[in-house]
Amino acid sequence: MDKVKEYKKANPFKLFGDHVQAIGTGIKYFVRPQRITLKYPEEALSLPSGYRGLIRLYKDVCIGCTLCAMVCPADAMKMVTQEGKKLPTINYGRCVFCGFCVDICPVDALKETGVHDAAFTNRRDLVFYPDKFNKSYDEPPTERVVKKVKAVVDEKRGIKYVPDE
Amino acid sequence: MDILGLLRFYILYPSFFVTVIFPGLVFTLLLLLVTIWFERKAAARVQMRIGPYYASKRLGGILQLVADAVKFVFSEIIIPNEVNPTLYALAPVLMVIASFLPIAVIPLSVIPPSGSVFSIYFKDFYDPDINAGVIAGLFVNYNLLLVLAIESVYPIFVVLLAWSTNNRFAVVGAVRETYLSVSYDVILLMSTLAMALEYHTLDIAKIVSYGIPGIVANPLAAFLFFVAMLMGSSRFPFDISEAETELVIGPYTEYSGFLFVLTMAGSYVGNFIYALVFADVFLWGWYPLSGFPGLVLTVLKAVIVLFFATFMRSVYARYRVDQALRGSWKYLLPLAFASLILGMVVGYVWIR
Amino acid sequence: MTNRLEDVLENSGMAVDIVPVEGELNVGPQHPGSGHMRILVKLNGDIIEDVDLDVGYVHRAVEKLGENRNYMHLIPLVERPAILDSIHMNLGYVMAVEKIINVDVPERAQYLRSFAAEVNRIASHLYGLGILGIFLGHSTAFMWGFGDREVWVHILEMLTGARVTNSYIIPGGVRRDLTPAIIEETKKAITYMRKKLEDWKKIFLYNPTIRARLENVGVMTKEKAIEWGAVGPNLRASGVYYDVRKIEPYAAYPKLDFEIPVYKEGDGYARTMVRFEEVEQSLRMLEQIIKEIPEGNILSDRFFKQIPPTRLKKWWEGYRRIVLPGYYASFRPPKGEAVTRVEAARGELLYYLVSDGSAKPYRLRMVTPSYRLINVMRNLAKGSRFADLVSIYGSLDYFPPEADR
Repeated sequence: MDKVKEYKKANPFKLFGDHVQAIGTGIKYFVRPQRITLKYPEEALSLPSGYRGLIRLYKDVCIGCTLCAMVCPADAMKMVTQEGKKLPTINYGRCVFCGFCVDICPVDALKETGVHDAAFTNRRDLVFYPDKFNKSYDEPPTERVVKKVKAVVDEKRGIKYVPDE
Repeated sequence: MDILGLLRFYILYPSFFVTVIFPGLVFTLLLLLVTIWFERKAAARVQMRIGPYYASKRLGGILQLVADAVKFVFSEIIIPNEVNPTLYALAPVLMVIASFLPIAVIPLSVIPPSGSVFSIYFKDFYDPDINAGVIAGLFVNYNLLLVLAIESVYPIFVVLLAWSTNNRFAVVGAVRETYLSVSYDVILLMSTLAMALEYHTLDIAKIVSYGIPGIVANPLAAFLFFVAMLMGSSRFPFDISEAETELVIGPYTEYSGFLFVLTMAGSYVGNFIYALVFADVFLWGWYPLSGFPGLVLTVLKAVIVLFFATFMRSVYARYRVDQALRGSWKYLLPLAFASLILGMVVGYVWIR
Repeated sequence: MTNRLEDVLENSGMAVDIVPVEGELNVGPQHPGSGHMRILVKLNGDIIEDVDLDVGYVHRAVEKLGENRNYMHLIPLVERPAILDSIHMNLGYVMAVEKIINVDVPERAQYLRSFAAEVNRIASHLYGLGILGIFLGHSTAFMWGFGDREVWVHILEMLTGARVTNSYIIPGGVRRDLTPAIIEETKKAITYMRKKLEDWKKIFLYNPTIRARLENVGVMTKEKAIEWGAVGPNLRASGVYYDVRKIEPYAAYPKLDFEIPVYKEGDGYARTMVRFEEVEQSLRMLEQIIKEIPEGNILSDRFFKQIPPTRLKKWWEGYRRIVLPGYYASFRPPKGEAVTRVEAARGELLYYLVSDGSAKPYRLRMVTPSYRLINVMRNLAKGSRFADLVSIYGSLDYFPPEADR
């Protein structure tokens, strides 16, 4: 059993030193800032490998076993019958990105793409029917040049962004 | 005298120039934006962020404040149901006026008999104590006292404002402001009184022209004045009356739109006035310059003091109201007496 | 002293009538210092006479939903109440399921669970310190808390594939293995955090304003802490040596060497100190885990054998990831019930799970640490100053969604 500790109560004479220490630390960071903000439209974060982003389907590989729909915790994945074949369809309005469907698929017909920043203009677009689901949802912004960076831990600065090739 | 000369005469007339142009209304408005910008940028630097940036990338985001101001000015002013609309709208205006008024009597520079753009007003603003003219809106011999007297009216308008908004958070905030004002005003007056005794005068211009900066002559009074200034203008760590997580924004809770800008401006303007006095009394004011460059130097020093005061936001949390009161009555008041004695001794021994 | 002064005043005819000023303040739910709940504060002057915590603003019926979902579906659901502490929320639930289906977890998976849990504990404590900071007006602590948390969230992201909703732990093991790249990043993060904690102490912990706001505020004696049912760091700050990791060890904790910081004072500052030292202890534990982690499987053999060999080759040997065998889609555990306790970042988290043999649990009971703090906070706030409400709130690290579930 570890001992019960006590801290020293503040004494008025040390108080002044503590004030100076606090202001000193503030000034230290004011002079040499340690910034971790990502300038988003100019720099976009590429997510680490294995990131559970949007999911895509390989229609030809799918055997229609419905395991993905069964394991889906949020009922986002549903099976539809298309040309006599059962195929999954996903509703991103419900999806919680747990990745269970990808992990449980016995033939690897589902894949996690590394994309997470998707925006839709209406709720109907959130439902991906097999044809749309069959494609990788990755549209790089065309108007402006986006610098892809990835986050790495740095011993001095915390999070650091390095260019991603 | 031609028409341009006449125009120049009236524009540069210190009573107009100081109160309206520099460092008066126009400059203060700009300074307000720059100060809030600095506060946000400085806090962001300490806090691993960048702060305002996208509004104008090259200027470091300073236009963000202009955008904010425009947004505030044009947004709707919501007047709560059970208030007196006249008082509700008038209170912030009166508050800003009360906090701004002292700028008229602070001496900001001296006028040499010749060689300066202000030399023509030498006789009108003649100060017999220092044998030179003084650039001030209105020259009075007891300006040190008058500045603080006018500025101390400010908390009364905060209370009026809170009272007229009929909001519980506002009333609690106003009570806190009242408690604080009785404690910081004493410290403020005692520390300036120490300087007055030390320099044997109540005229700021004379204090500056002695040639010894107040911070060297009486560092204790300088420290006390600075702390009281932080308290008086609701800067951290004495952001007690507007404590956001406790009282939303204290006395100003109900305000919106342009009236909110005014309420927010009140404490910054008050801080600027105190900073001007601090720059004059403790930081040697315009010395060794005179005329217009001296004026700029004084204001520059005040702006640095103001920036340092706003920088406190990124270092401190806020004290509780009883802790601030205990601190000021138990620790700062004895220090104030000590500074008074120090002032008397130094004034007798060193400064004649 | 005060009595005598009052007597003197009364005898000399200068008695002052102290008129009680009573009123109620309605703090929240839309208030910068209330969080997701309403606090009805009854004030007498500046002193709080009574508070009524109107909780339930973010109630999401996790327990009831638990009766209508199958066991795997509940894994993402139970981590929702405390999204910043999701590994612990998950771990407790999965341990309960494991008890019912009676499966052993391999050693390496146990270590990985501890690893993820400690990373999550650091992230959660930094979050709590940040919130405490902004409650006291210290915006730098707020930003630093969230900025430094990003480092640990990044490590969790690399390990589990998601920032906060990790769903990392599954019955029988964990989903992904620790790769050399993650170990490298973690080592760097430990060095960084150790260094940054020094600055944290200078600007936050030893800051006189923080000390003034937290010392002797919300004092909870040892007896009261036990009586009111406080848990976790708040209990340990009152001088009670109680930590589930030591009392009833789970995961890899029996094999790890760590200390439990216990403070005597029981005030807000002691609670903050306990959190700081727990972060330091967690860093120590992470170092040990990296060094001592054994080789081996990360999923119980019983399920591991069910994975199709082609997939096993691709995912486990290629990416060090476990894929789920079909068993998980809808398994029916035997009848039974299980109680598990884990030490979440805010304290003891208890799960009670009843299985009636069907694919869905018959009952899921979840006693979260913040739930127990409702009573503690109410009792502590009585008699304190109004400004202390936020410092009590922040120093208890009360998290409304976790309490409401």
